[in-house]
Amino acid sequence: MDLALFVLLLAITSVIAGLVGSLTGLGGGVVMIPLLVVLFATSVPVAIGTGVVTILATSSATGAVYVRDHLSDIRIGMFLEIATVPGALIGATATVFLTHANLASALLIAFGCVLLATIPLTLARRNVEIPPAVPSDHVAQRLGLGGEYHDQFLHRDVPYEAARTRPALAVMFSAGVVSGMFGIGAGVLKVLALERSLNLPMKVATATSNFMIGVTAAAGAGVLLAAGYVNPVIAAPVAIGTAAGAYFGSQVLPSLQNRTVRIIFVPVVLALSIEVILRGLGLA
Amino acid sequence: MRSVDSSPAIQSSATRSLPPEAYTRMTLVLRLGLGIALVLLAGGLLVYLAGNPRASSSSVESNNPILGYLTVPGLASGLAAGSATAILTLGLLVLVATPILRVVSGLYYFGRTGERAMTAIALTVLVLLLLGLLVIGPLLR
Repeated sequence: MDLALFVLLLAITSVIAGLVGSLTGLGGGVVMIPLLVVLFATSVPVAIGTGVVTILATSSATGAVYVRDHLSDIRIGMFLEIATVPGALIGATATVFLTHANLASALLIAFGCVLLATIPLTLARRNVEIPPAVPSDHVAQRLGLGGEYHDQFLHRDVPYEAARTRPALAVMFSAGVVSGMFGIGAGVLKVLALERSLNLPMKVATATSNFMIGVTAAAGAGVLLAAGYVNPVIAAPVAIGTAAGAYFGSQVLPSLQNRTVRIIFVPVVLALSIEVILRGLGLA
Repeated sequence: MRSVDSSPAIQSSATRSLPPEAYTRMTLVLRLGLGIALVLLAGGLLVYLAGNPRASSSSVESNNPILGYLTVPGLASGLAAGSATAILTLGLLVLVATPILRVVSGLYYFGRTGERAMTAIALTVLVLLLLGLLVIGPLLR
């Protein structure tokens, strides 16, 4: 394919991936990486390296809006990054080793399985805007993990306080490994930990997940970029497109009901994960 | 239909807020970092396409010249020569550095407000990020 046309198509696809990633809090990589492999015939390691760049662009674009609106909880995000960052370093290192060992197909199959797993996890997100209060734990109290945000949908300020920090750290470490290994934001795991373990309101969980995704991705990207797994000509249009899509998405999120977006997202991810697994098995 | 619980969590006196300027500065860091990165990436891409009018997508993937620009001297000489790949590499490095700078901002504000535990957490996150970029990645090359 002509390079200019290839770049244009990459950029357009990335706008859509960035929009979906932002609205769902999952990051654009979940959509963009399989599309790179399936539609653009990109090799798995390069797709993963590009995915990391996608996440960086998405998180910075949406993070700016969420931080400005005080929707992202910086304190909680920073606290949990102590688990996601080492996880991402381990995950990215594992990807490099698997690629060196000519196990890119296994990586693709594992990625497809992770994509499939995101579907029930996405649907498992509770449909409660503001959760019932649960007792805060010692760590949350010591670090002051809580705050308040203004909910545009409810038209009032909503206070919240974190709980159950230890299980949240365990889930966040796993999210870091998945993020570094497959170049995705692993936002579904992060949001689940923020909602279910820490008991945060839905919008704070989504915005804080976006905030954290960037730092986690920076850990994985640092390893993959320095190891030569990011192709700049492929990564550049993807970064530009996802940043634009993510920015539009973050403008809409505060006044949107997220469940609708998630339901639309499920069949797309299902189709992509099946296609990716079949390719990994050499059947597509 | 989404349900809205009528008994929101009660805010404890233990929760502490960062100063409003922390949010403003972090927003600025994110916007500036992303803006500079995107300008560099778009500019580098245009220079690359202009310099390779007959290139195909397959030739791009089979030839990734980024490794030559991942050292300070290599990047500096590439930029001085107007290399498209060097501009793209700088854009990618700015993109990676943006969240790292956000951690630095957090470190500054937690340190300034005397929160030792949060300062230690932010410092650990920063050290780990730099370890990946400057040590682990190059070792795996």
